[in-house]
Amino acid sequence: MSSPEQPLPPPPDGHPDPASAPASAPATAAGPDPAAERRRTHPITPLVTGWKIVIGIIAVLTAQNIARLANDFTITRALIGLGVIAAAVLVSVLFAALSWWFTTYAVDEGGVSLHKGMLSRTREYAPRARIESVSVERPLLARLLGLAKVRIEVAGGGESYLDIEYVRSADAEELRRGILGVAARTRTPEEERRDGGAPGAASGSVTASSVPGTGEEPARDGGDGAVSARDRLLYDGVTDGELIAQIPTGRLVRSLLRDLGFLAGIVMSIVGVAVAIALGFWQEGFSIAMIIALLPTLIAVPRYVFGRIESGWGFLSRITDRGLRMRRGLANTRTDNIASGRIQRIALRRPLLWRGPGWTAVTATVAGIEDDDENGAESVLPVGTREELRATLGHLAAPLGTADDLATLEHLLTAPAREIEGLRTSVGLFWISRRTRVSVLLPGALVVRRGVLTRSVEVIPRERLQQLRVGDGPLARRLGVLDLTIDVAGHSLNLDDLAREDVLRLHAVLTRDAATLRRYRDQERWPRPVLSPAAGRPAPPPVQGAPETAPPDEEERR
Amino acid sequence: MGPMTSAPDPHEPGTAASEPPRPVLSDVPGGLLGQDALRPVSPKLVPARYLAATVGYALGLIAIAGAIVGAVLTGWWWLGLLALLPVALIVQSLALTPRRVRAIGYHDGEDELTIASGIMFRTVSSIPYGRVQSVKIDEGPVDRRYGLAQLSVSTAAGGSTVTLPGLPKEEAERLRTLLTDRGISTMAAL
Repeated sequence: MSSPEQPLPPPPDGHPDPASAPASAPATAAGPDPAAERRRTHPITPLVTGWKIVIGIIAVLTAQNIARLANDFTITRALIGLGVIAAAVLVSVLFAALSWWFTTYAVDEGGVSLHKGMLSRTREYAPRARIESVSVERPLLARLLGLAKVRIEVAGGGESYLDIEYVRSADAEELRRGILGVAARTRTPEEERRDGGAPGAASGSVTASSVPGTGEEPARDGGDGAVSARDRLLYDGVTDGELIAQIPTGRLVRSLLRDLGFLAGIVMSIVGVAVAIALGFWQEGFSIAMIIALLPTLIAVPRYVFGRIESGWGFLSRITDRGLRMRRGLANTRTDNIASGRIQRIALRRPLLWRGPGWTAVTATVAGIEDDDENGAESVLPVGTREELRATLGHLAAPLGTADDLATLEHLLTAPAREIEGLRTSVGLFWISRRTRVSVLLPGALVVRRGVLTRSVEVIPRERLQQLRVGDGPLARRLGVLDLTIDVAGHSLNLDDLAREDVLRLHAVLTRDAATLRRYRDQERWPRPVLSPAAGRPAPPPVQGAPETAPPDEEERR
Repeated sequence: MGPMTSAPDPHEPGTAASEPPRPVLSDVPGGLLGQDALRPVSPKLVPARYLAATVGYALGLIAIAGAIVGAVLTGWWWLGLLALLPVALIVQSLALTPRRVRAIGYHDGEDELTIASGIMFRTVSSIPYGRVQSVKIDEGPVDRRYGLAQLSVSTAAGGSTVTLPGLPKEEAERLRTLLTDRGISTMAAL
């Protein structure tokens, strides 16, 4: 566009160090830089991925035929079987090796590109400006081998991500830092310091052990908060920046024990399995087929329990100048990075027995990150205290615009629904909904409170609305109500059965919000998270060569 | 409650007028939601839809004929009842298409595009210009014969595309230009 083209030297090692990367890239960096060095993933990758394929095939085959296999067991057959499996391993590893050979990635000034495929070649490209977040995942097997997977999330529906699997753990960290550096195209910690004051220091202190002089570089020895190698290993490198939340194992376990929905689910499935087994015995005695039929449930329950434990185990979040960094996991670990300006929606959840200690679970919707309960990628605070809630929301979410946002949220979470002033359905017949669902329009966000025992609060910033839909139907006409659907990127919120005039009024207000807020041309006035270093400061300083007001595709367009 | 207010009190200073806007959608008892302010689409959409549906009608007629012939040949009278389903489908299509077309409406307001459709189950979508991610114009063979086009507008919200059928071609072009121009000048971040 308007900025002058300047030739970019290819990064020396494929992933440019943010410090050395030129601050302004041509705005027209629309495609991958052909000069950038393409790299392959780690050579052990075929073994890891190939093995997975074999395990999958064996699991499917045996699960279906195990009874017959057990009946016809002989040594020769077992040997033949082993031979077949060995051959299968060899073939799939060979295939995996081929696909490994043809998989290359490169990180350049324009973004990240990934080439895959042998016969049909796919070339995926994540432009810098559209990278939403970068996470590093370490599944158990890869972790044992010291490998990690880097996932680059791009805004968009469906499978909008690039996976670089697998690379050495240390490389993964470097890669992540490089990609984020490219994505943010930001100032380096050094620049930040020169500007006066570490950004972390500006925000309210949360807990001790915050490392001054934030920044993504691994803490250097001799710094104030020298981080031991043990800590770095323990927290997967999430050791820099101000500590936002850290969940002790004790609290995690107690939080699960206090989650009645979770317990009830487990008890029900265990009882269900027990009843099924008992019935089976009573009807036709013991049989392997019956166990096989129940196998999915027998696996699913512990898996679910373990998944819940894992998604909060060793959780740690720290704020860095590139957003919130989170680490979690027991056997499989992952680190995620969420930039603060990219939250589309926040949901708070507080089960009945969490009310005593005042714990809250927070999930955030970021455009492009998939709604996937299993890996907990959306959860930004599995079970946090009030203080941690305050710090997390303060750094991530734009203010609600009330005098005391935390008190407001606390009120919305604790007060009985009937004491909350807001919109509720006008139909007396829907008395459950009438007593449990309230929508409140705050200056900064639309908030919906739901639930009786487990109370949840959904926060949709008013500046993030994408489109609105009003739905009418014969029954709604009769009852004098309307349905309002509010779409943000990655989520839809339904406000059902509100009085017609309420919906029309709300619709008018929200339509105006959607139309006028968060325009690029008044970027300086965008609400920013209260605790973020950028809050209260004008928009990021213009980069060299770029026009004063960044065109849409410069700063944050996705 | 001090901070809790359901009264709309939005916006930082200077972003927009601070008094709450009046509802933009009209809601007359007995009328269609928001219909007053909306412009109808081209009445040519009615014959276009009839023409597009002829294949369906033909299939329906064949099914009816088959059911009747079957009933006569076999003597199983209840086979004739099977003809009722295609009859119902054809009759409602013939009878209601004009009303359905008249129920489609749109309004290119100052800041947003409003698109409404449906009689019984009515949906009114509002899409601010600044949030539009892509605009598409489709012309099928039947549409082209009547000089019509269909406009599809999508935002970043999870894959939901709003379509507006039955626009005269130049009107569709005008809307597309409007959406792109206004979209650039009021472009909002995600």
